[in-house]
Amino acid sequence: MSVPSLQVRDVTVRFAGLTALDDVSFTVAPGTTHALIGPNGAGKSTCFNVLSGLYRPAAGSVRLGDTELTRLAPHRIAALGVARTFQNIVITDGTVADNLMLGRHILTRAGFAASALHLPRARREQRDHRARARETAELVGIGAHFDSLVGLLSYGDRKRVELARALCLEPRVLLLDEPVAGMNAGERARMAEVIQDVRTELGLSVVLVEHDMGLVMRLADEVTVLDFGRRIAHGSPDEVRRDPEVLRAYLGSVAEGEGAA
Amino acid sequence: MSDRRLVKPVAVAALAVLLCLPPFYLDAFWLRIGLFSLAAAIGATGLSLLSGTAGQLSLGHAFFLAVGAYGYTWLAGDPGPGLPTALAALLAVLLAGAAGGLFSPVAGRVRGIYLGVATLALVFLGHHLLLTADSVTGGFNGRSVPPLAVGGFAFTGDDPGLTVLGVPFGAEERLWYLALALFALTWFTARGLLRSRPGRALAALRDSETAAAVMGVDVARYRSAAFVVSSMYAGLAGVLLALAFRRVVPDYFSLALSVDYLAMIVIGGLGTVAGATAGAVFVTALPLLMTRYADRLPLVAAPGSGDAGIGPTEAARYLYGAVVVVILLYAPDGLHGLARRVRARMRRRRTPAGQNTAPAVPPAPAARPKEHTP
Repeated sequence: MSVPSLQVRDVTVRFAGLTALDDVSFTVAPGTTHALIGPNGAGKSTCFNVLSGLYRPAAGSVRLGDTELTRLAPHRIAALGVARTFQNIVITDGTVADNLMLGRHILTRAGFAASALHLPRARREQRDHRARARETAELVGIGAHFDSLVGLLSYGDRKRVELARALCLEPRVLLLDEPVAGMNAGERARMAEVIQDVRTELGLSVVLVEHDMGLVMRLADEVTVLDFGRRIAHGSPDEVRRDPEVLRAYLGSVAEGEGAA
Repeated sequence: MSDRRLVKPVAVAALAVLLCLPPFYLDAFWLRIGLFSLAAAIGATGLSLLSGTAGQLSLGHAFFLAVGAYGYTWLAGDPGPGLPTALAALLAVLLAGAAGGLFSPVAGRVRGIYLGVATLALVFLGHHLLLTADSVTGGFNGRSVPPLAVGGFAFTGDDPGLTVLGVPFGAEERLWYLALALFALTWFTARGLLRSRPGRALAALRDSETAAAVMGVDVARYRSAAFVVSSMYAGLAGVLLALAFRRVVPDYFSLALSVDYLAMIVIGGLGTVAGATAGAVFVTALPLLMTRYADRLPLVAAPGSGDAGIGPTEAARYLYGAVVVVILLYAPDGLHGLARRVRARMRRRRTPAGQNTAPAVPPAPAARPKEHTP
């Protein structure tokens, strides 16, 4: 499975006069982790919604390899191998298995008639893909909860269900919207390990929105910083950390002449 | 482990045998209750799939039931093409599905309560058409329904005459088995749908269309498919009801019928076949039973007796209105959820403390969480 690069070029999104994204560009190199950071309201989630096809930008392009994504419906983008998680957990009532099998929707074929009639083809497909879903659950560390109802799981486990469901699409690009938000230190550390593991094991590109700078510095190969919808900095985690613009955006304006420490 | 795996098929077989017995022991009154209940269960399963699983509120179920009932009557009857009745029944189901499909441009655009109101329009439109399209529907007085005949075997009192184990098989007995077979088909297909790819996609739509879309579910396609499938079940129920009533009249397919079906799936529990069935039996059988036993019930006047008191049909409505409220308050996942929780509790009691492996079943939230907007 070759992972194409994801190129975001001059993307602009406006909501009724408010410019949520203003000429934002970045490229996610194949197999790398790219972090998107910025203060609240900087446009990170808007950017994700453009990448997954939920918003159509007013200008600019998003290309996965040679394919233009901005004109495609969300389910078509998913079929191209772009999976995502949400900032607030969005999982379906039912078991972990049900959720992960939903993740395999685009990789399976069974339609209404075949399922209603319990055709052998449909049952075989369901069995095979259930086994694959179980592997994914184990990879993410929720194998023991595979048949549990998601309503009974802890917050951290539910976050991991969402991650596992996205991985079930066998994506080439994985968009993670605040994967450790609201987690305690132990859960954060485990989640970071899981993300690192799946990236090395599956060789996919990861785009990460996160407020936890420790996690960003640890996982990201490259960082793009947004503020008020504009890209204010870009580079390796170390470069970004020292960037005065970034410090200003995060800490407020620094008095004239004082060094940004 | 092996004995637990055996329990289910054995239970299903026992239930099947039990359901085949009533014609030998019960009179036509009870068979008719069963017949209407089974027909309602088929229709309610369809609505449960649409409103319960896919989360699309529909007040238009009566319309699709009417399409099935009148479709069959017209296709098999005179005036009408006078098709073989079995073919007419099949086409009536497909016709109802097509009606659901035709509605999908609307269904694809409006959501929630607005969809409910849009489907409401279907009921009024349907009722108006039934009253005015005399040549097809027979107008206000309706039409008599040609009895179903499959390969020379008619579902009527005599054609050919049939006596099984000393019990003469009239229309009710024959229709009972027909209804049972169609219900089994409904159960089989709906369970297949719910537990596989399409069912999961529909449930995902209900919980968040956004999340479903980014998981690769074609939202518009699945929304309309939910309407088509649900309407096909409604059509099948309509055909069966027409056969059971032997006459179709417009006033039966009113808004009240749609509301009855919503009550069924709420009482039974949304999104499950067993729940829809339980709710259907409850809502269908209650008024009939209260009519029958009106003289023995306090505060209920027997029909035609002239006593002070409310009529049994109204009493049944009050009663199941109250049941809906109680269920929404205390068991929002309906009779089915209630049964599930009781079972889980019994299982816990049986396993000694400490090795409690059976997970508790959480009570369903009283209302659905809000649609997530990222």
